[in-house]
Amino acid sequence: MAFTHTDRSAWAARSHELAQLMSRSALGDRSAFARLYDLTSGHLFAVVLRIQRDRALAEDLLQEVYVNLWRAVGSFDAAQSQPMTWLTSVARNKAIDSLRRAQSQPVMQSVHREDDDDDRPDLDQQLADDTPGPADLLSQAGDARRLDACMKSLTAPQRQSVALAFFDGLSHAEVASHLQQPLGTVKSWVRRALLSLKDCLERAAQRDAVGALER
Amino acid sequence: MDYANPQLADALASQYVAGTLRGRARRRFEALLGAHATLRAAVRRWQDRLIPLTAVLAPQTPPLRVWQSVERTLWPQLAAPAAMQPWWQRLVVWRAASGAASMAAFALAVLLALPTVQAPPIVVVLQGTGDAAQPPGSFVASFSADGRALVTRPLTPVALESNRVLELWAVPPQGAPRSLGVISTNGVTVVPRDKLPQQVLDAARTSALAVSVEPPGGSPTGAPTGPVVYAGKLTL
Repeated sequence: MAFTHTDRSAWAARSHELAQLMSRSALGDRSAFARLYDLTSGHLFAVVLRIQRDRALAEDLLQEVYVNLWRAVGSFDAAQSQPMTWLTSVARNKAIDSLRRAQSQPVMQSVHREDDDDDRPDLDQQLADDTPGPADLLSQAGDARRLDACMKSLTAPQRQSVALAFFDGLSHAEVASHLQQPLGTVKSWVRRALLSLKDCLERAAQRDAVGALER
Repeated sequence: MDYANPQLADALASQYVAGTLRGRARRRFEALLGAHATLRAAVRRWQDRLIPLTAVLAPQTPPLRVWQSVERTLWPQLAAPAAMQPWWQRLVVWRAASGAASMAAFALAVLLALPTVQAPPIVVVLQGTGDAAQPPGSFVASFSADGRALVTRPLTPVALESNRVLELWAVPPQGAPRSLGVISTNGVTVVPRDKLPQQVLDAARTSALAVSVEPPGGSPTGAPTGPVVYAGKLTL
């Protein structure tokens, strides 16, 4: 897979190839689509699994994502979006929607399943695993210079609430209960975090643009 | 609410992309996206800001069964030996056209009303191939008896994505199809004489007509690149 956590530049570097594969897929080229799957499914599966922790459900979701992509990939516009950003958004939306369904069907928890013959770890193991927590992930994401600076401009609770919501797909209410804070407080943390992130990224982009002109 | 208000649009888009807009509010927002360019632009900007954060996630290779099930869902016919042949040789696709006699009669009536067609034409009904990309409907193509004029027309207007066109192909019994040019999705197309191959009405040269979906301007390669959505056998 192209995107490791030390290699964020891959996000943009593969753009051209991915955009080509996507436009060929839109014209019905199955081998291009298979290659697109090879290059992107590892990242999309990681994104989906982070939000939908039930592995079997996550696999089903990923399959649906690619089936839908084959039909919808023609609507991708390389002039407006980065391929990886677009693809990741599609997968994230699918995963978030699956949480909505799971909430209305609260029995969907693999820990309650009586399937001994598979290799799926059960729920408490999954929760206890040593994958990085959402806050760790945010600080890793800070490898990118701008994001790093901007993440630092957030307060610790702001950073933590955004990370729980963004990476793990927690709702405001779930973040509130996780952090044992009132719902209204968490909502305003998230709102302010997003706003200051935006302001900070925009200022940084402007600075870089001015810097490039002066150089 | 005024969704053209950039501040409101931006706030909703940020919560949508961050994932905190949930349940009914999320569905309502998604429904609104189709109609409001301001909202779509705000969502794109927030995706550009936030989605690169996911690059820190270590990739998780999905099990092979996921891709296998994608293939099975999209191309159930893939396992069949017929899939080995190029599409234009899979005549089974348009054997379905045999039930189209009454359609052909109707098409004939339609086409006879056209002032451009003088002699009794040879009519080919191009039926849907059942491809996932196929818009509903069917086409008729009509050759003048001497094979020097060809007119196509959809029986009902065909709804196609705005950045796609339909291209007509003459399919020989052997070898690659030959382009007859881009055709109209909602009206009559007269194929220019110089586009028509010599003796196009020779069974040894043309066994069927087919329509594929192509990028604007037609196939860039000279061979069909998009799905073949309509096809009909030429019976002389």
